[in-house]
Amino acid sequence: MADTPEAIRKSLRLYGLIGLVLFAGTIATVLVATVPALDVGGHGFDAADCVLGLLIATTKATLVAAIFMHLNHEKKAIYWIFGAGGVFVAALYLLTALAKKDPIFDPLFYGQESKTEPFLASPTLR
Amino acid sequence: MSSHATTHTGHDAHHDDHHHNPGFIQKYVFSTDHKMIGLQYGITAMCFLAFGFYLMMVMRWSIAYPHQPLPEWMSWIFTDGWKARWLQDGKVTGETYNMFGAMHGTIMVFLGIVPLGFGAFGNYVTPLQIGAPDMAFPKLNMASYWVYLLGGLIMCGSFFLESGAAKSGWTNYSPLAGFADGQVVNQWLAGQTQWLIGLVCLITSSLLGSVNFITTIINLRARGMTWMRMPFFVWSMLVTAFLLLLAFPPLEAAGIMQLMDRVVHSSFFMPSGLFTKSEGLADLSGGGSPLLFQHLFWFLGHPEVYVLLLPAFACVSEIIPANTRKPLWGYKSMVYSVLVLGFLSFIVWAHHMYMTGMGAAVSTFFQTTTVLISVPSVVIITSMLISLWGGSIRFTPPMLWACAFIPMFGIGGLTGLPLAFNLADLHLHDTYYVIGHFHYVVAPGILFGFFAGVLHWYPKITGRFMSPTLNHLHFWPSLICMNLIFFPMLLQGMAGFHRRWYNGGDAYLSKAADSVNVFGNTVATHIDMNIIMSMGAWTLALAQIPFIINLFISWKTGKKVESDNPWNATTLEWATPTPPGHGNFTFDPAVYRGPYEYSRPDHEEDFIPQWEEPKKPNTKH
Amino acid sequence: MEIPYIVTPRKDTGLFNSKIAIWLFLASEVMLFGGFFSAYVFLRLGADYPWPERTLPVLPGLINTFILIGSSVTVVFAWASLKMRQWRKFQFFMGITIACAAIFMVLKGLEYNVKFHHQAVRLNDYTVIEGHLGYEMEDGKEVLNHHGQKIEENQIQVETSGLTFNIVRFHKPWVEELLSQAEHRKSKIVLAADVSAITDEGKPAETLAKAGEPLSVELLSRLQESHLDARSHNGAVRTAELRKEWVEAKKNNPGKRGWEVSSGVNIDADTIAPHVLTEIGTVAFKVDPPAMFDFKPRDIQEGATQSRLRDDTLVDGKMLASPMGLHYVDAIDFRHLAMKAVEKGQDPMVAVENSWLIKNHPFAKDAWEWNKGQVAKIEKELLERHGVDEKTGKAKYEPTAKERYRIGWKEFVAMADEVDRDREEIAIKEEFMGPDYHGREAKHTFPHLELPREQIRFASKFTPAWNTYYAIYFTITGLHGLHVIGGALVLCYYLFFGRKMYDTNPEWLANRVEIGGLFWHFVDLVWIFAFPIFYLM
Repeated sequence: MADTPEAIRKSLRLYGLIGLVLFAGTIATVLVATVPALDVGGHGFDAADCVLGLLIATTKATLVAAIFMHLNHEKKAIYWIFGAGGVFVAALYLLTALAKKDPIFDPLFYGQESKTEPFLASPTLR
Repeated sequence: MSSHATTHTGHDAHHDDHHHNPGFIQKYVFSTDHKMIGLQYGITAMCFLAFGFYLMMVMRWSIAYPHQPLPEWMSWIFTDGWKARWLQDGKVTGETYNMFGAMHGTIMVFLGIVPLGFGAFGNYVTPLQIGAPDMAFPKLNMASYWVYLLGGLIMCGSFFLESGAAKSGWTNYSPLAGFADGQVVNQWLAGQTQWLIGLVCLITSSLLGSVNFITTIINLRARGMTWMRMPFFVWSMLVTAFLLLLAFPPLEAAGIMQLMDRVVHSSFFMPSGLFTKSEGLADLSGGGSPLLFQHLFWFLGHPEVYVLLLPAFACVSEIIPANTRKPLWGYKSMVYSVLVLGFLSFIVWAHHMYMTGMGAAVSTFFQTTTVLISVPSVVIITSMLISLWGGSIRFTPPMLWACAFIPMFGIGGLTGLPLAFNLADLHLHDTYYVIGHFHYVVAPGILFGFFAGVLHWYPKITGRFMSPTLNHLHFWPSLICMNLIFFPMLLQGMAGFHRRWYNGGDAYLSKAADSVNVFGNTVATHIDMNIIMSMGAWTLALAQIPFIINLFISWKTGKKVESDNPWNATTLEWATPTPPGHGNFTFDPAVYRGPYEYSRPDHEEDFIPQWEEPKKPNTKH
Repeated sequence: MEIPYIVTPRKDTGLFNSKIAIWLFLASEVMLFGGFFSAYVFLRLGADYPWPERTLPVLPGLINTFILIGSSVTVVFAWASLKMRQWRKFQFFMGITIACAAIFMVLKGLEYNVKFHHQAVRLNDYTVIEGHLGYEMEDGKEVLNHHGQKIEENQIQVETSGLTFNIVRFHKPWVEELLSQAEHRKSKIVLAADVSAITDEGKPAETLAKAGEPLSVELLSRLQESHLDARSHNGAVRTAELRKEWVEAKKNNPGKRGWEVSSGVNIDADTIAPHVLTEIGTVAFKVDPPAMFDFKPRDIQEGATQSRLRDDTLVDGKMLASPMGLHYVDAIDFRHLAMKAVEKGQDPMVAVENSWLIKNHPFAKDAWEWNKGQVAKIEKELLERHGVDEKTGKAKYEPTAKERYRIGWKEFVAMADEVDRDREEIAIKEEFMGPDYHGREAKHTFPHLELPREQIRFASKFTPAWNTYYAIYFTITGLHGLHVIGGALVLCYYLFFGRKMYDTNPEWLANRVEIGGLFWHFVDLVWIFAFPIFYLM
């Protein structure tokens, strides 16, 4: 537990290091999104690149939460509290997205495959 | 370890102003004492409940006697100017009815029941029952009350704007709610906008309150008060606080987005191609989704109804053991049930949205979770019922209400089951059946639980009992009238009567006067029910007068209590002086046993309070 | 009475009170921002227009990310210094943290400011044009309105001869605006006719205002008061009469229900006539001589000979041409038009070439031709690099919709500098503040455009009103910005007023700084997600 002054002094190095890792992660995210050479799968920024970028972001967030916010050695009660928030926000996302993706089958509205999908979803135009 | 400084001398001390004698303002107005704040919440909430009740009385006139001007006895309270604007020749117009309807719902739910249950009962009783000197953050507690009051005043103040108050239902769906009052040039002066601002205040207040509650319950329990020795009241409040904490923010998000739709003309919830009669094609970008609002609203909306309910469960679960002289049956199951209930309440919300074009997968998921969630509620209510079995029941005033709560809430809950299935809901959605269902739960259900609570803790607050005679005058007419009002609603709903229609359904007459439902009833008979129901509503108003009188008179002339524990109850709040002073306990409370040790065969007295030291040494702490 | 566990943790939970509280609060913040981000997903999946992915300049966002991460590190160092009882170091690190917050907000302010001044228009055929509006000029100088502000070249102009105000709903600031415009145009707004009303039962009508009286807010308010008084009075009279009618109807129809007789119950106009006062309703004014008035497009529902303002004021007069004057056009975007064409089953390229803009403006035609050439080059490059898909016989990868149909400001720069796209030279400042219009004037990089009003379907600055993307962008980043300000204020409090607490109870201060730091890290966390989502995806 980073409580005593000595323990804190030791943690200082870790904080600085994590800070640098975060900087690097940010640069990585931008590079993944902009440099064509780093494109996952080829031309165009598509879903795969999004996933990679968000994975990097999640890693950064985990580092901030675990180390800067001391979550890696926090008490159980706190895990429950913060975890509850995480679980329910995931429920909000997943169920809302599920509701969006699962409409009533009605050919008048949803029957045909959307012709405008390429313009809306991914940028790669076929 | 609880009310005194611990290892570090003086460093734990929260140096309060209490060392000097607080003046009137600091003691009664800007108090940081949880008991005073609880009373403030209680009185304010009851005032709002009365106001919401009045709105409903006017609505019931319009339903029972459409096209007839409001009678003098109901309209005297409005100014001529207001009446000229909102009543057409004295008649309730559709616009006015919608405004009253939206505000009735909002006021009752957000300004009435939640503050009464959570803010009043929760604040007053919780620290007492866990043996704490106050809430963990007294100043935050005070702030939460004042922000609530501000939000309430903003919402009610909007009645006096030219545009009137909000009028798009308490659910405030876009695009209507994004457009309503759109003709007001300065949108900040529109009732719909003010509603959203008031809502943000209320959400902030709830947030501050719930942080306070949870921290207090986790960290300020007295010595020996383990989790499974906490009264069920405290468990209920804990779960309620979590529901408020985690469910309100998405509604805040939706509220902010709808506010932006109104004020900066964004299109979060406005679909493309929106066309209105007054403005033609809307001057908006479009591309938004009305469904998004519904998802975000009901994500709160469903946990919200459990926020209404759990404090009533809390009150009733304290009153029953004290008046049956038996432990609460199934305490452990009730605790697990309330936790499961809290968890499940977050994933059932779309059962309010079955008519939005959901596919089979989603609606199956929500039907399943909705039916599942009935299980813990049934466990809890059944445990309460079984708790009566074999008990030595004394029908004290609070017990009367607590016993009425069980069947009334039972009816409310059971009538919810058909609504859980989207097949039945197709027929019942947006009909009077839904209104009947939720009012059964809230009005003869939750509110009866709160009346019970008031009667139960009044002696602790004032040192006097409330009058049983006045209580009977309040109770019996209320019970009868509640059923008179809400039971026919179930029938009308099954017959297809639509919600939110200001003319009581007489529009059906021109189209379908002879149409007959499965029971052989015609539209005409269902219409006539409106009159009985409205009479019931107005009589119900009269029946509350004995309660108001009781509340005030008993303070001065009620029968005095003879001890600090007049009900001979076991929970910690009865160990305090009457009324409890600042810091609550005059001794360092410690808990030696569970919360409902009644009628132990090995003990002479028929109850053992939690704080009473054991005669033989106790093994557990 | 003391509240326990404010500083020292409770033994069984191991926590002190404010730590529990802040994590609870952070859990609720997770739900709040979660709600907003789920709205983002919902809106993006359900958008019925081309989602403007990756149009925001990355550099400001990137710098802000570095600043916020840096401040996260320094706030931890600040807390650590406090725990180690090093006051000066605490001040130093906390100061940097707050300074970072300030820089963050300044950069954000710059970003927002650029957007709020940038205009976007969607034409009837769904062509999107972006640029900067010009300002009304007179004799080479910009005209100022009565607030001292420049007037944008996006007004509806009506040659006004008459104004009729709704006596209940007229909007005072707009009346003042009309008066000031009239003064500027050397015209007078006066009452068209006498206003007379019966203000007392039984008395004859009195003249409340005479024809020729000049318009003023005071005059309208006075008439409004009379109207409202009359309305109240008449309401009471009519209500009493209706009640009487109902009593009659019930007497004449015993045993019948209310709804059975209601259609026959009406107020007799003759009976109440002697008791009714005059409700003025509307008041008509003459504009003498007729003058050209400017109105914001959002405020007016324009008509050929009569227009209506949102406060129900009727504006009599011919609507003039009222074009939108774009001083610099810096983007043309045909994606929405192409999308609509594909929906109808038409060839998007043909639809673009038939668009109003291409047909009527040579600069657009030139830009489109240039762009086609660039797209052809990209297609060739892709074909060479990735080859052909065996199954379909088409190229494996094709240019994006954005490359095909959007000619942004960087493309205009490339065109004017006669280089290929992605080879243009952009100054660092331009990455932040947008193109240097003035500096590039010499090469005529950004053309002028007068857009006829009737071609415009929807117009807005780059604000939440423009589309749901900007709506959610401004909402999330704006709310995040408010959190940055709030957090910074709390940290400021500890920095400037913490000394006293440090001297008496340093552990308590350390706890509070830790709590403040936890909030600060959360703010950083949100930005870690917001940055890639809005700027890079």
